[in-house]
Amino acid sequence: MISRRDVIKAQAVAAAAAAAGLPVPVAAQNLVTDASLTELKWSKAPCRFCGTGCSIMVATKAGRVVASHGDAKAEVNRGLNCVKGYFLSKIMYGSDRLTQPLMRKTNGVYDKNGNFEPVSWDEAFDTMAAKWKETLAKKGPQGIGMFGSGQWTVFEGYAGVKLMKAGFRSNNIDPNARHCMASAVVGFMRTFGIDEPMGCYDDFEAADAFILWGSNMAEMHPILWTRIADRRFSHPHVQVAVLSTFKHRSFDLADIPAIFTPQTDMVILNYIANHIIQSGAVNKEFVAKHVNFRLGATDIGYGLRDENPLQMAAANPNSGASEPMTFEDFAEFVAPYTLEKAEEMSGVPAATLEKIAALYADPDTKVMSLWTMGVNQHTRGVWVNNMIYNIHLLTGKISTPGNSPFSLTGQPSACGTAREVGTFSHRLPADLVVTNPEHRAHAEDIWKVPPGTVPDWVGAHAVEQNRQLKDGKINCYWVQVNNNMQAAPNIMEEGLPGYRNPENFIVVSDAYPTVTAEAADLILPAAMWVEKEGAYGNAERRTQFWHQLVNAPGESKSDLWQLMEFSKRFTTDEVWPSELLDSSPEFRGKTLFEVLFENGKVDAFPLEQTAEDYANHESEDYGFYVQKGLFEEYAEFGRGHGHDLAPFDRYHEERGLRWPVVDGKETLWRFKEGSDPYVSAGADFEFYGHKDGKARIFALPYEAPPEVPDEEYPFWLSTGRVLEHWHSGSMTQRVPELHKAIPDALVYMHPDDATALGVRRGSEVKLSSRRGFILSRIETRGRNKPPQGLVFVPWFDARQLINKVTLDATDPLSKQTDFKKCAVKIEPVGA
Amino acid sequence: MKRYLFLSLPALIVVTAVVAQEQVATFRQGTPLHENATPPAIAKVNNSDLRQTRNYPEQPPLIPHKIDGYQIDVHVNQCLQCHSRAATEVSQAPMVSITHFMNRENQFLTSVTPRRYFCNQCHVTQGQVRELVGNQFIDVDTVLDIARQPQDGGD
Amino acid sequence: MFGRLIALLKTTWAIISTPSAFISLGVLTMGGFLMGVIFWGGFNTAMEVTNTEKFCTSCHEMRANVYEELKVTIHYSNRSGVRAICSDCHVPHGWTSKIARKMQASKEVWGKIFGTINTREKFLAKRLELAQHEWARLEANDSLECRNCHSAESMDITRQSTRAADMHQRFLFTGEKTCISCHKGIAHELPDMGKVEHAATGSKNLDTRDIVVFLSKTEEMIKGSKE
Repeated sequence: MISRRDVIKAQAVAAAAAAAGLPVPVAAQNLVTDASLTELKWSKAPCRFCGTGCSIMVATKAGRVVASHGDAKAEVNRGLNCVKGYFLSKIMYGSDRLTQPLMRKTNGVYDKNGNFEPVSWDEAFDTMAAKWKETLAKKGPQGIGMFGSGQWTVFEGYAGVKLMKAGFRSNNIDPNARHCMASAVVGFMRTFGIDEPMGCYDDFEAADAFILWGSNMAEMHPILWTRIADRRFSHPHVQVAVLSTFKHRSFDLADIPAIFTPQTDMVILNYIANHIIQSGAVNKEFVAKHVNFRLGATDIGYGLRDENPLQMAAANPNSGASEPMTFEDFAEFVAPYTLEKAEEMSGVPAATLEKIAALYADPDTKVMSLWTMGVNQHTRGVWVNNMIYNIHLLTGKISTPGNSPFSLTGQPSACGTAREVGTFSHRLPADLVVTNPEHRAHAEDIWKVPPGTVPDWVGAHAVEQNRQLKDGKINCYWVQVNNNMQAAPNIMEEGLPGYRNPENFIVVSDAYPTVTAEAADLILPAAMWVEKEGAYGNAERRTQFWHQLVNAPGESKSDLWQLMEFSKRFTTDEVWPSELLDSSPEFRGKTLFEVLFENGKVDAFPLEQTAEDYANHESEDYGFYVQKGLFEEYAEFGRGHGHDLAPFDRYHEERGLRWPVVDGKETLWRFKEGSDPYVSAGADFEFYGHKDGKARIFALPYEAPPEVPDEEYPFWLSTGRVLEHWHSGSMTQRVPELHKAIPDALVYMHPDDATALGVRRGSEVKLSSRRGFILSRIETRGRNKPPQGLVFVPWFDARQLINKVTLDATDPLSKQTDFKKCAVKIEPVGA
Repeated sequence: MKRYLFLSLPALIVVTAVVAQEQVATFRQGTPLHENATPPAIAKVNNSDLRQTRNYPEQPPLIPHKIDGYQIDVHVNQCLQCHSRAATEVSQAPMVSITHFMNRENQFLTSVTPRRYFCNQCHVTQGQVRELVGNQFIDVDTVLDIARQPQDGGD
Repeated sequence: MFGRLIALLKTTWAIISTPSAFISLGVLTMGGFLMGVIFWGGFNTAMEVTNTEKFCTSCHEMRANVYEELKVTIHYSNRSGVRAICSDCHVPHGWTSKIARKMQASKEVWGKIFGTINTREKFLAKRLELAQHEWARLEANDSLECRNCHSAESMDITRQSTRAADMHQRFLFTGEKTCISCHKGIAHELPDMGKVEHAATGSKNLDTRDIVVFLSKTEEMIKGSKE
């Protein structure tokens, strides 16, 4: 057994090793055979990064993570990882881990303009609670807000939404998944009435054609890309079409490459629908039985502030309304979207467009459509989601192996936490919404809180929260597991001003000092990944669990612990109105912790039920199996309602299960008889998310983007990720190997554009929009090859905050920002 | 008892005394959020051909040379021109690992599996730049060294 | 440019095809000599025009495909700024070989007229054949055009990366291989190498995809026969 003293010694050894130029460790010089020394403890955990949901085997020794690799038993990745995944072992060990709370202070007291000083958890929570109470008293629940994450564990998201909606009675909670998946969600809800893909990753081994809509899976979903590459190379008939506004690594596998003018994906999709109809490829039986047609409202604005001229000019701002129409009406609607028009508007050669349309139209070609941010981060993102479903529904290519419109996700639990738990400002768990009184009553019932506790107003969404912080409407704000000062659009006008607004108190929980942490007033040190027990849900509805494998450094605690601990500092009398307490006097004088977490359900499972060989710092603190209680209560929402989850313990044994899990069996293809237990016998297909059991095809036109390049700002700017860094880079840039692989953000540009501007590879440039600017360098030979007139800049680099430049225009229905299109100019610096 | 086996082993984070500071975002290196620092020059890629020690055996080796213009696409994989089994005698380059011949069912193919076709999904070059932040990961051999040292007390 | 040349040729033909009634033999001989010089110069000038990058990239086929690809390579942009234009690599420098290559190129004019590679797809379909012509030519002339700039004698291998120095010592200096044997695809993207016949390149390691395809087909057949 190794003692604390040994570890301290190890620190000395590590320091000595660093100083002496890394001698080879003694253990490495001889073959060590003593099993007690060589045996590693291997445990499973889902990857910390993207929405693919690879399973990882993590080795621990003496309380340290010492190795990791792809889990050979996991269906998702079968032993593979991407380069980020292979370096997971190092993400927790960045030298600047936060180990104690830090608060801005001057002369020993909190001061918004002070410097960060270490404080105790008690002082941190006391200050926080005082601020929350003051704001709640002054402004009510609308004055506080929370910004969560698709990287929250299921338990954390559930505790967060419960604390906000049933505790503080505020719907001002939104996840950063708003930036990534909101358009997909609204797309699903409009077309199918139920969220998340009908298909699953097994489609990769069954499809004959893969069509990428604006997605760069080679870099963003590398392991799924290995499955496509495997299918494409092993089966010569398989074709891959890649559509994007610039050339990137996914084009390396493209049989059919297509570069289109930004926003004209809508034109291409309507052309394909038109082609399917004109060429007689409509699956008439499927359409007649399982599909309705709707004409959607148009001219719906751009999700900008209401007083923005563009927003005021819209005829039907933010309208998701639609009315019934016939198939013939729909055919007539898409008829103007001819091949010629599509070629002219998109710039894609007619022959290429025809090939793509033919893949969809051919009844013998099983097509998998794939998309992520190119479609979702789009001022008409919901529409484009709807339009992709249109062509799959017209041809009946859906819900069967290989026929799969597949919305990919960017975060490890965008599905599992943000969407399924419902941590959005309008949602409740299992697709319920706060605006529906029955849904609220159902939630209050499960939560055992008085009727009327859950508020009926839709809270502020991500971009709106930043606006309300700036306007001083939200004054207390808690950010967990995300780096929104780097991720949100238009930082200079709509991000920083709100955080630094003297009226506001901003709290950021993170493992590392991010730019968001720097913009805050109080920083809480968080346990990350395998420093806590967790659950994530990936893009194919797969829920995966992991155990706490190591301890968090210093005083860091999980977000779950932080949420629960904070709830102890409030009593119902302080935060609930007297009407509510008058009607349910038994709640008087109770703390929110007692109401929400000691409700006989969350605390139903004793500490003894936690795993033999694993620690669980939250449960040890609270004396009951916190995660199990939260999960079992949460699972009540979905069981019997199409979102069934298996019993808690089973997830610790399995490499994840795809919901609905009915009678112990996971569901691979939803809405199809035989594979989905929720489909009525004899229905063949049933889209049961809508009451009539039918999916909806939406007639939607092309509408222009809010900002297009002009003489003054002549370039399109598209932002995005890179393979080696995940999102804002707060984990991956602390792994030296990943940092060195791609150290800086660069402006990827066409060489002819560079020549015309008088700049060259490596030139320093000022890249500016009407909102802000960054300094960067030109890359003309990089992995991304934009056409003339467009530049690409990744957003991982905290030293080059490209979101100072982006536009905070959103899809008016999903409120998701379009990070892929705005107008910029580029000028040489000091040339 | 079982569960506390490693609780006595806190992580090896050196908790440095945090002094009061205005800027904490390490990566920004002191540049306030509203300002923009001069971006560093584009890094030169390490081309030393010297292999770098892996952090653990499962880690994909880093590429110790430039790969400018190496084509890996539907037409050709230029990495395999040196690293394929047949090429190694001529190239004296390391052969792609045997794991790369395994398909999804863990069966060995006679050639590299297409699921491993795009080398640069796992293998990356290294720019000649300094770390933004240090990393205190220690490898298992070092952990073993500590474990094998004689116990002199302990707590 | 061509119009003027043709006009000049026409005039010249008109003059020389008409028997002279007034000019002395001496003048005629002198004139013939002078005209020879002019014709010769004009021909060479015209031929040199076809060697410029502007000429080569004046047609869409070259500009959109091979030239676009060249722009991101070291033969277009590099540390010393010495770059290659199309003719440096694709046209021999010696006069006889040059004329031979130009005569070959007349076929390319037909290609242009009939649109043999006027779309990216047609170009890609044809690329292997086109590339193989160039590789064969360079194999046959011991990479003459490469060596016009990259002389083995002038290589300081201590300034090369270890593996490059090693390879050059083992294969280039011994004459076992020539430049193009290894340096294919350095200025343009490579064609589908899975379709390259081994004998054509002497390469035995470019067939990964074919093997994979063959194996998976075999696997399927075995599976199928079992079912």
